[in-house]
Amino acid sequence: MISSEFKYICPKSIEEALERFGEFQGEAVYLSGGTDLVPRMKLGLKKPRAVIDLKDVASMSTVAEEGDYIRIGSLAQLFQLKQTDLVSNRFPALAASLEATSCETLQVRGTIGGNLLQNTRCLFYNQSEFWRRSKGFCLKMGGEKCNAVPGAKKCFANYTSDNAPALCTLQAEVAFAGPNGSRRFKLESLYTGRSDDPFDLEPGEILTDIFVPNKTVAGGYEKLRVRGAVDYPLLGVAFSRGSDSGRLAVGAVGPRPYTVELNEPAQDAMGEAVATVINQVKTVENTVLESAYRKRMIPVLAERLIKKVMEGAE
Amino acid sequence: MMERYNVSLKVNGELVALNVRAGETLLESLRERLELTGAKEGCGLGACGSCTVLLNGLPTRSCIVMTAELDGAEVQSIEGLADGTDLDPLQERFMEKGAVQCGFCTSGMIMTAKGLLNRNPKADKGDIIRTMSSNLCRCTGYKKIVEAVEAVSSMSEPENK
Repeated sequence: MISSEFKYICPKSIEEALERFGEFQGEAVYLSGGTDLVPRMKLGLKKPRAVIDLKDVASMSTVAEEGDYIRIGSLAQLFQLKQTDLVSNRFPALAASLEATSCETLQVRGTIGGNLLQNTRCLFYNQSEFWRRSKGFCLKMGGEKCNAVPGAKKCFANYTSDNAPALCTLQAEVAFAGPNGSRRFKLESLYTGRSDDPFDLEPGEILTDIFVPNKTVAGGYEKLRVRGAVDYPLLGVAFSRGSDSGRLAVGAVGPRPYTVELNEPAQDAMGEAVATVINQVKTVENTVLESAYRKRMIPVLAERLIKKVMEGAE
Repeated sequence: MMERYNVSLKVNGELVALNVRAGETLLESLRERLELTGAKEGCGLGACGSCTVLLNGLPTRSCIVMTAELDGAEVQSIEGLADGTDLDPLQERFMEKGAVQCGFCTSGMIMTAKGLLNRNPKADKGDIIRTMSSNLCRCTGYKKIVEAVEAVSSMSEPENK
């Protein structure tokens, strides 16, 4: 049961959705598949005055070739998306990250847009209200202390989208419609770098499309998790390899994916790329696995992945 | 004042009209209003699969779907699987293979398997393991569950008959 009271609204167009959002002065949320939002509402982490369901905005679920890009509607279902030829043939990194996302039953419900805009997670945050109240509210709840790192003045929750790192290696762009017009920018610019408030967005903006450059790029995705059948990533590593360059992106170890360009798409350049990521990453004790282990697994998964991708390319 | 929503659903072939608050989940509607208590609430967060039903033919975790968003939808729960006293082949094989111990996960297991076999009637062992492993069972282990689903899947392969 979701115990808080809210209005349920199901608009038929983006314009109507934006208008209805405006009526609630920032206290509304958008709903797509609900696999992230509904559990958050059940735990009392989110108590909006209105839930605006986007599923009747039909234009947002198609996948199509559009000139130099493949356009993926944000409401495209994860399960269908991974079986779409345009994705599986051209973007193996994305196909692999979609396959690794949660489990089939949730892929059937979840959408790519919802996956990218899922909230950050922490062992001390994604808990019931009773649990959190007993412990004392943390920074992400508007409290004054971090419950994961004693004395810390900033939040360390992890952004656990499997597909964001893969899309970063593919240099994907995201398009938003908002109360002040539309805009389109690189996925990497979506993030604030702050775990308590991870997305650099204006209130009410709706992710409408994801644009991936239309060229076939070899690649893959490796994921660390405890329960292979479902689970959010505790570390995710994506790699895509063009003809003369490569990109590595590491996710679930901070508030955003960490993306690095490799000068040459070869194994030798990988060590340097991994070191660049590791220098930026600070894992803490806020998941079910030890922080040092998660960090040490970055080069392990990266090497395993690049080997697989290079062998596949030969 | 609590706002309420009128929702028409087809549940196990029968039309039902519900009047719900926005925060009511499909699992609550099934269990508490329609007295269909086969689907169980385990984790309540979509992680364990014991509440799985078919929503418009697709296996769905009913504890994280709001009934208010389902106007016009079709739901099939474990109660709608048998045809009178004729059990579904999945139910038969679960009994035959002893794929049930405490029973708490069973309806979710069977509905997840149903969703898989609807989509892929010839699912092989690998497909079955991949799909079923996302549902939690704490008693039997998965061997017998996988065997039961495999037995139904192989029934659709003429060469095995």
